[in-house]
Amino acid sequence: MLIERLVIGDPAAKELLYDRYAGALYSIVLQLVPVKERADEVLAKVFLWAFHHIEAFQTSGHRTLFAWLLRRTRELAIKEALPETALTGTELIKKEEGVLQQFYMILPADQQQVFRLSYFKGLSITTIARLLALPEEQINDTLKDAMKSFRQFLKETWN
Amino acid sequence: MELKFYIESGIIESFVLGLASEAEVEELQHMRRLYPELDTEVEFVERRLERAAFDEPAMPPVDIRDRVLQKIRWEQGHAYADPSSNYTFINIQPKDGDHITVHRSWKIFFIIFFIMSKIFLFLAIFYYLKYRMSQEQRSDNLRQMIRQEQTQSPLL
Repeated sequence: MLIERLVIGDPAAKELLYDRYAGALYSIVLQLVPVKERADEVLAKVFLWAFHHIEAFQTSGHRTLFAWLLRRTRELAIKEALPETALTGTELIKKEEGVLQQFYMILPADQQQVFRLSYFKGLSITTIARLLALPEEQINDTLKDAMKSFRQFLKETWN
Repeated sequence: MELKFYIESGIIESFVLGLASEAEVEELQHMRRLYPELDTEVEFVERRLERAAFDEPAMPPVDIRDRVLQKIRWEQGHAYADPSSNYTFINIQPKDGDHITVHRSWKIFFIIFFIMSKIFLFLAIFYYLKYRMSQEQRSDNLRQMIRQEQTQSPLL
């Protein structure tokens, strides 16, 4: 229902979309973007983009608006991310109780590293492999393991 | 490929997070066509993630909401220009007796007309000057010819 109303450009539906998802998305944005002004910028951009690209949701393969919005949020957050000078894990400690944080904490060190570089920094497998001086196949496998861990994590905590 | 094994590989989580490669996404799309129950699984995964995020929402600053809503209202005001909108808007431009409105193709017409008129003006001046020059040349030549004849055959 909401999606149909968004497709025709109903302003009340746009407002509803914001009110429904802004809180949950902002929480994630704060985990992805360390600087508040940039985080705010990302949140605004996500919704303004979503209002005009709702048809993209219908062909995205996603089953929920949230996941589709989250995907776009991450893409924008990566663009807003400050250039990395030292690849430490310290910039991650923004929202301690966030779902991404909780998940990150339970991962073994190698999966932590690959997940952080891949999800938070948006680096490709090739780039990560070069950065860590490891074979691509190994990075690929580590990321796959991280995804298995993520599946377990979600099932155990939010099923 | 065994479906359960495929699901347990974390491929759906990978897709949902946007970490799946193009090849993996294509494979997933293909598998979803073959196995409709995969769609259900995608929904389960996304709902879990949604629940997780909604568990700890963060209140965004009010000015972001204002900014977004303002943009919505501004766009609504301009919606008659938006072809995808189903709203009908009344054009409230006042009918003013001193002005006329014409089709925008007249703009192109006037620009071309203006340029052409400049070109023609230039050509007119150019060829006039050329004509003048050739006239002067001709009268010069004529004068010269008369002078020559006079010197050659003076009046008796």
